[in-house]
Amino acid sequence: MTESAPRSGHLSTHVSTPSPGRVIVHVSGEVDTLTAPELDAALDRQLDGPATSLVLDLTGVGFLASSGLAVLIKAAHVAEERGVALSLVTANRAVVRPLEVTKTAGMFTIHDSLVTAEAALDRDGTGSSEH
Amino acid sequence: MSASPDRASHESIVEIRTEAGPAMIPTIRAVAADLAGRADFDLDAISDLRMAVDETCATLVSIAAPESTLTCRFTVVPDMIEVEAAVTMASGQGTDAVATDTFGWRVLQTLADNVGVLELPGTDSAATQVGIRLVKRAVTDQR
Repeated sequence: MTESAPRSGHLSTHVSTPSPGRVIVHVSGEVDTLTAPELDAALDRQLDGPATSLVLDLTGVGFLASSGLAVLIKAAHVAEERGVALSLVTANRAVVRPLEVTKTAGMFTIHDSLVTAEAALDRDGTGSSEH
Repeated sequence: MSASPDRASHESIVEIRTEAGPAMIPTIRAVAADLAGRADFDLDAISDLRMAVDETCATLVSIAAPESTLTCRFTVVPDMIEVEAAVTMASGQGTDAVATDTFGWRVLQTLADNVGVLELPGTDSAATQVGIRLVKRAVTDQR
Protein backbone atom coordinates (compact mmCIF):
# COMPACT_ATOMS: atom_id res chain seq x y z
CA MET A 1 0.00 0.00 0.00
CA THR A 2 1.44 3.34 -0.96
CA GLU A 3 -0.04 6.74 -0.36
CA SER A 4 1.57 9.85 -1.63
CA ALA A 5 0.69 13.50 -1.78
CA PRO A 6 2.39 15.46 -4.54
CA ARG A 7 2.77 18.79 -2.81
CA SER A 8 5.63 20.81 -1.45
CA GLY A 9 5.57 19.40 2.09
CA HIS A 10 5.03 15.90 0.80
CA LEU A 11 4.73 12.68 2.76
CA SER A 12 4.42 9.07 1.75
CA THR A 13 3.67 6.04 3.85
CA HIS A 14 4.12 2.40 2.99
CA VAL A 15 3.06 -0.53 5.16
CA SER A 16 4.76 -3.91 5.33
CA THR A 17 3.94 -6.94 7.44
CA PRO A 18 7.14 -8.96 7.88
CA SER A 19 5.57 -11.49 10.25
CA PRO A 20 2.13 -12.13 11.78
CA GLY A 21 1.25 -9.43 14.29
CA ARG A 22 4.14 -7.21 13.32
CA VAL A 23 3.51 -4.17 11.15
CA ILE A 24 6.08 -1.71 9.86
CA VAL A 25 4.95 1.70 8.65
CA HIS A 26 7.66 3.29 6.51
CA VAL A 27 7.31 7.05 6.39
CA SER A 28 9.21 9.38 4.13
CA GLY A 29 8.97 13.07 3.41
CA GLU A 30 8.08 15.91 5.76
CA VAL A 31 5.60 15.71 8.63
CA ASP A 32 4.07 19.15 9.09
CA THR A 33 0.66 20.80 9.44
CA LEU A 34 -0.29 19.74 5.92
CA THR A 35 0.81 16.13 6.14
CA ALA A 36 0.42 15.24 9.85
CA PRO A 37 -3.27 14.25 9.39
CA GLU A 38 -2.18 11.74 6.76
CA LEU A 39 0.31 10.13 9.16
CA ASP A 40 -2.30 10.21 11.93
CA ALA A 41 -4.76 8.32 9.72
CA ALA A 42 -2.14 5.77 8.65
CA LEU A 43 -1.21 5.06 12.29
CA ASP A 44 -4.86 4.89 13.39
CA ARG A 45 -5.52 2.24 10.75
CA GLN A 46 -2.70 0.08 12.07
CA LEU A 47 -3.53 0.65 15.74
CA ASP A 48 -7.12 -0.38 14.98
CA GLY A 49 -5.86 -3.56 13.34
CA PRO A 50 -4.57 -6.87 14.70
CA ALA A 51 -0.94 -5.78 15.07
CA THR A 52 0.71 -6.51 18.40
CA SER A 53 3.85 -4.65 17.47
CA LEU A 54 4.10 -1.55 15.34
CA VAL A 55 7.40 -0.25 14.03
CA LEU A 56 7.36 3.29 12.71
CA ASP A 57 10.28 3.66 10.33
CA LEU A 58 11.05 7.39 10.19
CA THR A 59 14.41 6.96 8.45
CA GLY A 60 13.15 8.89 5.43
CA VAL A 61 11.64 11.78 7.38
CA GLY A 62 13.46 15.05 6.75
CA PHE A 63 11.31 17.32 8.89
CA LEU A 64 9.07 16.86 11.91
CA ALA A 65 6.89 19.79 13.02
CA SER A 66 5.13 20.05 16.38
CA SER A 67 1.96 18.84 14.63
CA GLY A 68 3.87 15.69 13.62
CA LEU A 69 5.24 15.31 17.12
CA ALA A 70 1.68 15.51 18.46
CA VAL A 71 0.69 12.63 16.15
CA LEU A 72 3.55 10.49 17.47
CA ILE A 73 2.64 11.26 21.09
CA LYS A 74 -1.01 10.39 20.46
CA ALA A 75 0.07 7.11 18.80
CA ALA A 76 2.21 6.28 21.84
CA HIS A 77 -0.80 6.75 24.14
CA VAL A 78 -3.14 4.70 21.94
CA ALA A 79 -0.54 1.94 21.53
CA GLU A 80 -0.10 1.74 25.29
CA GLU A 81 -3.87 1.55 25.85
CA ARG A 82 -4.19 -1.28 23.35
CA GLY A 83 -1.10 -3.18 24.42
CA VAL A 84 0.68 -2.63 21.13
CA ALA A 85 4.48 -2.40 21.31
CA LEU A 86 5.36 0.78 19.42
CA SER A 87 8.90 1.51 18.37
CA LEU A 88 10.42 4.29 16.30
CA VAL A 89 13.32 3.94 13.91
CA THR A 90 15.33 7.08 13.33
CA ALA A 91 18.89 8.30 13.43
CA ASN A 92 18.06 11.58 11.78
CA ARG A 93 18.51 14.88 13.59
CA ALA A 94 15.29 16.19 11.98
CA VAL A 95 13.39 13.65 14.09
CA VAL A 96 15.68 13.05 17.07
CA ARG A 97 16.15 16.74 17.88
CA PRO A 98 12.42 17.57 18.19
CA LEU A 99 11.95 14.53 20.44
CA GLU A 100 14.90 15.56 22.63
CA VAL A 101 14.17 19.26 22.84
CA THR A 102 10.56 18.60 23.89
CA LYS A 103 11.68 15.87 26.29
CA THR A 104 9.29 13.39 24.69
CA ALA A 105 11.94 10.89 23.54
CA GLY A 106 11.36 8.92 26.75
CA MET A 107 7.83 8.06 25.62
CA PHE A 108 9.20 5.91 22.82
CA THR A 109 11.40 2.92 22.23
CA ILE A 110 13.81 4.34 19.66
CA HIS A 111 16.17 2.38 17.44
CA ASP A 112 18.68 3.78 15.00
CA SER A 113 17.96 1.17 12.33
CA LEU A 114 15.19 -1.13 11.25
CA VAL A 115 17.52 -4.09 11.75
CA THR A 116 18.03 -3.34 15.45
CA ALA A 117 14.31 -2.61 15.91
CA GLU A 118 13.35 -5.97 14.44
CA ALA A 119 16.09 -7.78 16.34
CA ALA A 120 14.77 -6.31 19.60
CA LEU A 121 11.24 -7.51 18.80
CA ASP A 122 12.54 -10.97 17.83
CA ARG A 123 14.39 -11.20 21.13
CA ASP A 124 11.35 -10.17 23.17
CA GLY A 125 8.71 -12.02 21.18
CA THR A 126 6.05 -9.52 20.23
CA GLY A 127 6.13 -7.85 23.64
CA SER A 128 7.67 -4.52 24.48
CA SER A 129 11.31 -4.00 23.78
CA GLU A 130 14.07 -2.04 25.38
CA HIS A 131 17.48 -1.19 24.04
CA MET B 1 11.84 37.88 -1.56
CA SER B 2 14.23 40.75 -1.08
CA ALA B 3 17.68 40.76 0.49
CA SER B 4 19.59 43.75 1.79
CA PRO B 5 23.12 42.66 2.62
CA ASP B 6 25.03 44.70 5.16
CA ARG B 7 22.47 47.43 5.49
CA ALA B 8 23.72 48.11 8.95
CA SER B 9 27.29 47.07 9.66
CA HIS B 10 26.78 43.33 10.18
CA GLU B 11 23.10 42.94 9.59
CA SER B 12 21.33 41.41 6.64
CA ILE B 13 17.62 41.25 6.13
CA VAL B 14 15.62 38.79 4.09
CA GLU B 15 11.90 39.29 3.77
CA ILE B 16 9.44 36.83 2.26
CA ARG B 17 5.91 37.82 1.34
CA THR B 18 3.52 35.13 0.26
CA GLU B 19 -0.07 34.04 0.31
CA ALA B 20 -1.12 33.30 3.91
CA GLY B 21 -1.71 29.59 3.29
CA PRO B 22 0.14 26.42 4.20
CA ALA B 23 1.57 25.75 0.73
CA MET B 24 4.60 28.03 1.02
CA ILE B 25 5.56 27.18 4.60
CA PRO B 26 8.02 24.45 3.52
CA THR B 27 9.82 27.08 1.42
CA ILE B 28 9.92 29.61 4.27
CA ARG B 29 11.33 27.09 6.78
CA ALA B 30 13.91 26.01 4.19
CA VAL B 31 15.02 29.63 3.81
CA ALA B 32 15.30 29.87 7.61
CA ALA B 33 17.51 26.76 7.73
CA ASP B 34 19.64 28.02 4.86
CA LEU B 35 20.20 31.42 6.52
CA ALA B 36 21.10 29.72 9.81
CA GLY B 37 23.54 27.38 8.06
CA ARG B 38 25.27 30.29 6.33
CA ALA B 39 25.42 32.16 9.65
CA ASP B 40 27.33 29.21 11.17
CA PHE B 41 24.56 28.11 13.52
CA ASP B 42 25.24 24.74 15.12
CA LEU B 43 23.25 21.81 13.73
CA ASP B 44 20.80 21.67 16.64
CA ALA B 45 20.18 25.42 16.38
CA ILE B 46 19.51 25.10 12.62
CA SER B 47 17.02 22.30 13.30
CA ASP B 48 15.36 24.30 16.10
CA LEU B 49 15.04 27.44 13.98
CA ARG B 50 13.53 25.51 11.07
CA MET B 51 10.94 23.98 13.37
CA ALA B 52 10.26 27.29 15.16
CA VAL B 53 9.70 29.14 11.89
CA ASP B 54 7.40 26.37 10.70
CA GLU B 55 5.35 26.59 13.91
CA THR B 56 5.24 30.39 13.74
CA CYS B 57 3.99 30.43 10.15
CA ALA B 58 1.50 27.59 10.72
CA THR B 59 0.07 29.42 13.75
CA LEU B 60 -0.36 32.69 11.86
CA VAL B 61 -1.76 31.08 8.72
CA SER B 62 -4.45 29.40 10.82
CA ILE B 63 -5.84 32.78 11.93
CA ALA B 64 -5.18 34.77 8.76
CA ALA B 65 -7.89 36.43 6.72
CA PRO B 66 -8.70 34.68 3.44
CA GLU B 67 -6.46 35.77 0.57
CA SER B 68 -4.25 37.80 2.88
CA THR B 69 -0.48 37.98 2.91
CA LEU B 70 2.02 36.32 5.23
CA THR B 71 5.14 38.38 5.75
CA CYS B 72 8.22 36.76 7.24
CA ARG B 73 11.27 38.90 7.88
CA PHE B 74 14.62 37.46 8.95
CA THR B 75 17.24 39.77 10.41
CA VAL B 76 20.60 38.05 10.55
CA VAL B 77 23.15 39.60 12.89
CA PRO B 78 26.32 37.95 14.19
CA ASP B 79 25.41 34.88 16.28
CA MET B 80 21.66 35.47 16.12
CA ILE B 81 18.65 35.50 13.83
CA GLU B 82 15.51 37.47 14.60
CA VAL B 83 12.30 36.43 12.89
CA GLU B 84 9.21 38.60 12.63
CA ALA B 85 6.21 37.10 10.89
CA ALA B 86 2.81 38.73 10.49
CA VAL B 87 -0.59 38.27 8.88
CA THR B 88 -3.82 40.19 8.63
CA MET B 89 -6.31 38.49 10.92
CA ALA B 90 -9.61 37.09 9.78
CA SER B 91 -12.49 39.36 10.82
CA GLY B 92 -13.82 38.80 14.31
CA GLN B 93 -10.42 37.76 15.68
CA GLY B 94 -9.06 39.66 18.65
CA THR B 95 -5.45 40.26 19.54
CA ASP B 96 -5.64 37.11 21.65
CA ALA B 97 -6.09 35.10 18.44
CA VAL B 98 -2.59 33.65 18.79
CA ALA B 99 -3.28 30.86 21.25
CA THR B 100 -0.44 30.58 23.73
CA ASP B 101 -1.93 27.69 25.72
CA THR B 102 -1.31 25.08 23.01
CA PHE B 103 1.21 22.29 22.59
CA GLY B 104 2.57 24.10 19.52
CA TRP B 105 3.24 27.30 21.47
CA ARG B 106 4.99 25.41 24.26
CA VAL B 107 7.20 23.74 21.67
CA LEU B 108 7.90 27.14 20.13
CA GLN B 109 8.97 28.51 23.52
CA THR B 110 11.32 25.56 23.92
CA LEU B 111 12.84 25.95 20.47
CA ALA B 112 13.41 29.70 20.46
CA ASP B 113 15.59 31.69 22.85
CA ASN B 114 12.86 34.29 23.00
CA VAL B 115 9.35 34.37 21.53
CA GLY B 116 6.36 36.65 21.82
CA VAL B 117 3.18 37.83 20.16
CA LEU B 118 3.37 41.15 18.34
CA GLU B 119 0.34 43.38 18.33
CA LEU B 120 0.75 45.49 15.27
CA PRO B 121 -1.10 48.72 14.58
CA GLY B 122 -3.54 48.03 11.75
CA THR B 123 -4.02 50.43 8.89
CA ASP B 124 -7.69 50.50 9.73
CA SER B 125 -9.97 48.77 12.19
CA ALA B 126 -11.16 46.25 9.60
CA ALA B 127 -7.69 44.82 8.98
CA THR B 128 -5.81 44.13 12.18
CA GLN B 129 -2.32 42.71 11.88
CA VAL B 130 -0.93 40.20 14.31
CA GLY B 131 2.55 38.79 14.41
CA ILE B 132 5.04 36.59 16.20
CA ARG B 133 8.61 37.59 16.90
CA LEU B 134 11.29 35.13 17.87
CA VAL B 135 15.02 35.16 18.41
CA LYS B 136 17.35 32.21 17.93
CA ARG B 137 21.01 32.23 18.88
CA ALA B 138 23.63 30.43 16.80
CA VAL B 139 24.86 28.31 19.67
CA THR B 140 22.48 25.90 21.37
CA ASP B 141 22.35 25.95 25.15
CA GLN B 142 23.34 22.62 26.62
CA ARG B 143 20.12 21.50 28.21
